[in-house]
Parts: sequence; structure tokens; C-alpha cells
Amino acid sequence: MYVATAALCACGGCHCSLMTVGEPFIALLADNSISYSSHFVDRRTIAPSDVVLVTGGIRNAEELEIASEIGRTSRKVIAVGSCAVYGGIPGAGDIPPVEVEDGSGLPALLPRLEPLDTAVPVELYVPGCPPPPNLIFEALKSVVEGYSSIRFDSTVCSDCPRRVQRGPVRRWTLHPGTGVHGADCLLSGGMMCLGPVTRGGCRASCPARGAVCAGCRGPSDAVLSSQLHSMYADMVKYVGLTCGTREDKVAREMAALLRWMYLFTRRDPVTRARIREKVVDG
Amino acid sequence: MGSPEELQETGEWTGQKVRIYPVTRIQGRADIEVFFTPHQKPRGARFRALEYRGFEEMVPGMPALRGPSVMSRLCGPCGLTHQLLSCLAIESALDVEVPQAAASFRELISWLFLAQSHLLTMVYSVLPDYALPMSDVSVRNVAGIYSVDREGVSRLLAALAAFTRAISAVAGLPAHPSVVVPGGTSYLPAAEGLHRVSEMLAEGREDIAETLRLVEMLTRRSSRMIDPGPPLKGFYVTTSADGFADINGDSVTISRFDGEERRVVDPDSFLDMLDKRPVGWSYLVPVAILKGEPCLVGPMARVNLGFGPEAAWACEERARILEEWGAPLDGELLFFTALALEVIWAWENASRLLEGGTISGTDSCSVPTMSESGAVAVLETPRGTALHWLAMDRGGAVAEYRVVSSLQLNQALLDDHLTSVALKEVGGLEISDITSQRLQFAVRSFLPCVSCGTH
Repeated sequence: MYVATAALCACGGCHCSLMTVGEPFIALLADNSISYSSHFVDRRTIAPSDVVLVTGGIRNAEELEIASEIGRTSRKVIAVGSCAVYGGIPGAGDIPPVEVEDGSGLPALLPRLEPLDTAVPVELYVPGCPPPPNLIFEALKSVVEGYSSIRFDSTVCSDCPRRVQRGPVRRWTLHPGTGVHGADCLLSGGMMCLGPVTRGGCRASCPARGAVCAGCRGPSDAVLSSQLHSMYADMVKYVGLTCGTREDKVAREMAALLRWMYLFTRRDPVTRARIREKVVDG
Repeated sequence: MGSPEELQETGEWTGQKVRIYPVTRIQGRADIEVFFTPHQKPRGARFRALEYRGFEEMVPGMPALRGPSVMSRLCGPCGLTHQLLSCLAIESALDVEVPQAAASFRELISWLFLAQSHLLTMVYSVLPDYALPMSDVSVRNVAGIYSVDREGVSRLLAALAAFTRAISAVAGLPAHPSVVVPGGTSYLPAAEGLHRVSEMLAEGREDIAETLRLVEMLTRRSSRMIDPGPPLKGFYVTTSADGFADINGDSVTISRFDGEERRVVDPDSFLDMLDKRPVGWSYLVPVAILKGEPCLVGPMARVNLGFGPEAAWACEERARILEEWGAPLDGELLFFTALALEVIWAWENASRLLEGGTISGTDSCSVPTMSESGAVAVLETPRGTALHWLAMDRGGAVAEYRVVSSLQLNQALLDDHLTSVALKEVGGLEISDITSQRLQFAVRSFLPCVSCGTH
């Protein structure tokens, strides 16, 4: 098999995550052929490959060209990380133009960052910021060895060791982790944890350590199952149940926090329509 | 001789240029441009960042409390430090005192990430330059080396695994850990968990020692094969405490390579010394200090200033290495050794914190009360000194955010050095793979992180 990796507008966190797999990953590379990867190999051109792991979204003309070339020359493309899958944090805002020298050859910036599948068909999606190392490696291995990859249809909440304490919440905060003790649910402590509506598979890495789930793996299957669901609507329902408060009251209290629910997914075509309708501007 | 940019401005440069694209085995996408005289002699070279991140423009209006987790996404390898810098700037602005246990826990995580980042760089990016520098491209990579020397690579990977497992146990994911929050940490690990981490690190000690031996052996061999290039000139810069390099230091030490000048400044004074100098040919904005004299930040700068006495093993190895190679370290060939030395430094400091019993208690976070304010914070990322400055409005939203990264500080010296190497190694417009690799090796020795640089 010819294996490749490519990074578009990416921070390198997904490649870091993959590289920490260590020996099993390197053994897989050694048993196959690396057709290109600017992280690992000194090859300068995009060559035909059986599988390409792509991290990052598309922010400039060069990245669009790379993505298109990958699409033309690859059998299977795996989108790794929330930037490639949804647009991620760099896709959360429009970027003002940057002045560059005429004839500098610097790639022109696009008005906004787009997810990978706007330019190339994607075989597998591995969202997360970053995705856990085992999930990336498993996705790669499944394509190389030709078996079906694990699909996580749980939520972060269902993997979380904390337990819901039903009762009213006095005040909601955007603080990402005030140090809630013991095994109490962070939502019960008034923190905006998106665990109930976020795709699982990360072993609730953040809430298990007292930090809110910021929704980096995107909406869960339950949220995506119907147009009647959304991260916001489902959160209102869960919080109402947790706090024993009427849903309309919860919706009012959470309105100001709404735009931070979609920090990783605002460029995703699936959620974009809903965001346009529901995100409060400014 | 001026930089290519100056030459173009004065009209002195009328020759051709050759582009080496992409620069491989670095973080981010970049190229090298080599400029030639009309007689096809090399005239200069420069390193260009080809991507743009735009985080500074994105965060204004955002609640500052969510700023650190967003700023963490500036960069994968240096993400933890950016998160910490953002937290420190908020805490400094709002006069928040972080609980002692949380401060110690943050420090522990910082050391673990420093070591992990260095070992990832060593295995995947740097090792091919030292192990198989003249080999064909199909072999000159970590998988190729693994095929011919499984044992050597496995040693490095075992050292990496010790830190990766420790990070997974206390911080979760290997990049962008969420546990560092404004006011402290989101939790404190139980004594039992810390004991397990301590055991993981103890198991890695032998592999870390062997890693340094391997790196030294490869460096000695390379010194006979590769022309080490001219010594670096200008200043080296690092955060420091009590006269020693310290990744969490509260001051910045700026020293001349020739030893003739040294000054120690606080973060506010350091901010005042910085001068952004945008260029139209790169998405990176170089930053000058001290009226534009080139400077070096990163592992070699920290090794040159020296480690505190609490890291006895690292101090001993550093003294031995400086005796062999001369002080200060000012040759690009020695940055591999500096990385290995810092892994030992990180291992010792992490072990000390785990044994010290300071990471215990129930108070992990002092939740800040938001107000209109602003402050600066300076820390060491694995790749060098970085600075965050933010201003907040009354509602606690970010009004303005500025970042200075290690590559911005290094850019001037990197271009100077690249030009020196190009003048020596490039024979004409046809640049061979070996020469291209030589130029890229010069770039890699500055540990460029384009993602941080083009925030």
C-alpha cells in the first residue's frame, strides 16, 4: 500500500497525536510505502496513494490546489481532526485580507476556511481536536488492512465517569473548569459542558479531568439523526432535565452562551444552516 | 551584503531565484528562496511562511475565559504553552493568585510536554538528518531508519512512550490538554495517579540516558561529514529565573554569543523591546529586539544559559558536552544534542515535582472576576520564547490580543544563517537534493514552527 499524510491549514496537533502512537505507527509505515508526507519524508510532489490522511481545512489557494491534487491521485482520503472535518476553530471566523507583495508568490487567502470535503471526496472522518491517537491510527489501519473501522455512536456524556446531580443551577459560567470536586456532573456545577451532545470516543478526556467538553468531536449521531435535533436544542433539553427548570427559561439563560457551542463546527455544511438560524451575532 | 529584500529594494539584485518547496520535516508549510547574481552565483537566501492562521484577528469579542483553549489551537507542538501564556496574561491582568498545587501541576505538565515535543521532533524530523544524511529519499525518513536499525529507533520511541503515557494519565490528550484553565487547573490528580506517573518516568530513565548517548554518537559522526557552517552571531534569549534558564521563568535573559553583554528584563520591558517588522514576501511578521540585532530562542539558547542546580543530571551532562564542543553552543549541528539535554532536564524537573508532594489538595482554581484590564505574559514554548498580550473590556471579552512566537524572533538570524550556508554550499542554479537538504537542515536547526509564527 502507498500511504501518505498531508497538512493543510493545520496546527500540527493531529499529526502530533498520530506520532505519539510510536512504534506501531512507524512499523506500519515501514511495512508499506510512504508516497509523500511533508512531516516525515523529503518527497516534494503529491504522488498516487492508496490512502491519505489529511489534517487541516482549506484557507488559501495553495491548500485548495493540494486538496484537489490529493483528490485526483488518491484512492481513499481520511479527514483527520475537526479542522478537516468541520473547519474547526480556524473556521470559526472570517479572516480579513492580508497585504502581500505583488509577485511574492504567496498563496492567496480565501475569504473563509472550508472543510476538506468541500474539495475532495472523503472516505472516513476522524473528528477531534486532536482526535485521540488510537482513533487516528485505527482509521489508518482499517483502510490499510481492509476492515471496517470502529464507529462511535456514543456521546462524551455516556463515557463520562461523573454523575448528574439533579437540582437548580444558580448561574451559568463560560469558565472551562472551575475545579468541580469529586464525581459531580459539570453541568450541575453551572459549567457549559457539551458532553451530552458531542460525539464520544475520546473517553470523556476533558470532563473526566474537570474541564468542560468544548464539543471538539462535533455533534453526536443523536443530534445528526433528525432535523428536529441540534446541539443547542438538545442541550436545552438536557439542561432542563438536569436542573429541573422549564426549557424556555433554560433557553433564555443559555442564549448568550450559544455561539460557543459551535466553535469547532461552524463551517460544517450539516450544521451551518442551523447555526445561521440560531447563533446570536456579536 | 544585504538581504534579498534589501537588494531588491535598492535594485542591486537583478538575478534569478530558485525556490525549494516545500521545506520538509518541519511544522507548517514553508519554502526557501535562494537568490542569484546575474552571473548565477548565490547572493542570499530566505525562509518564507506560506500559511496564515489569523488567530489574533479572530479572538477579539470572545469571552477571555475561553481564550486559552482557543489560543492553544495556534499550534499543536507548542499548544500547551500558548494555553498557559493566555491564562497567565489573564491572571496577571486580573490579579488572580493561582493555588500553589495548581501552579505545581501546571509546571509538571509543562515539563512533560517539553520532553514529548522534543522527542517527537527528534524521532520524526531530525533523526534522518543525522542517521542517513546522504541516503536516498525513500530511506531518509523514520520508517527507513526503523527498517535498518530497529533497536536505535525503539530506544527513542521508548523514551517518548514514557512521557506520552504520563501525559495521557494526567492531562488527557497529547495536544491541547484542557486541564490548564484561567485561575489554575481544572482538577488535581490523586496521589495514586501521580505515583503511577512517577513510576512511568522512572521506567523511562535508562531509555532517556541511551537517547543522549545515541544523539552524541550521531552528532560526532555528522561533524565529520557535514560542514557545520559558520557560528551563530547576535544574541540568545530565554526566560529565566535566578540566572538560569527556566521554562516558567519570570524574567527574560538576553545574552550575546560572544559573552560580552547580558541583560535581564521583566516581561513588560521585554514587550517594549520588541519591534514588529512586517515583510511583503511572507505571512510571518519578523520581530526584532535590540535595534534589530539577530537573536536565537529555543533549546540551544536555554542550554547556553544553563539549568538550575535542581537538575543535577542535566547540569552534569551539559558541562560535559560544553567541555567537548566549547561554550556557548553556537553551531547548528549541536541543536540535536540540545534537544536531548533538555529531555533530561524535563525528566528531572518532572520527577522532582512528582516526588515533592506539592501537587495535592482540593483547591485547584481561583476563578477570576472579570474587569477591564490587560497584561503580558512570557514563557518558553518547546521551540523558544513566546509572548502573549491581551486587553479585556469590562464584560470580560477580549478587546485586543497580540502574540509573538519563537519563529518571529528567530527569523532574522535564520535568514542570516541560511544565506551563509547558501553562499558556501550552492554552486549554481541547479540545486541538488544533497544541497537542498543541507539548506533545509540549516532551517530545521532553528526548530521553525510556522503555525505559531503565522498566528
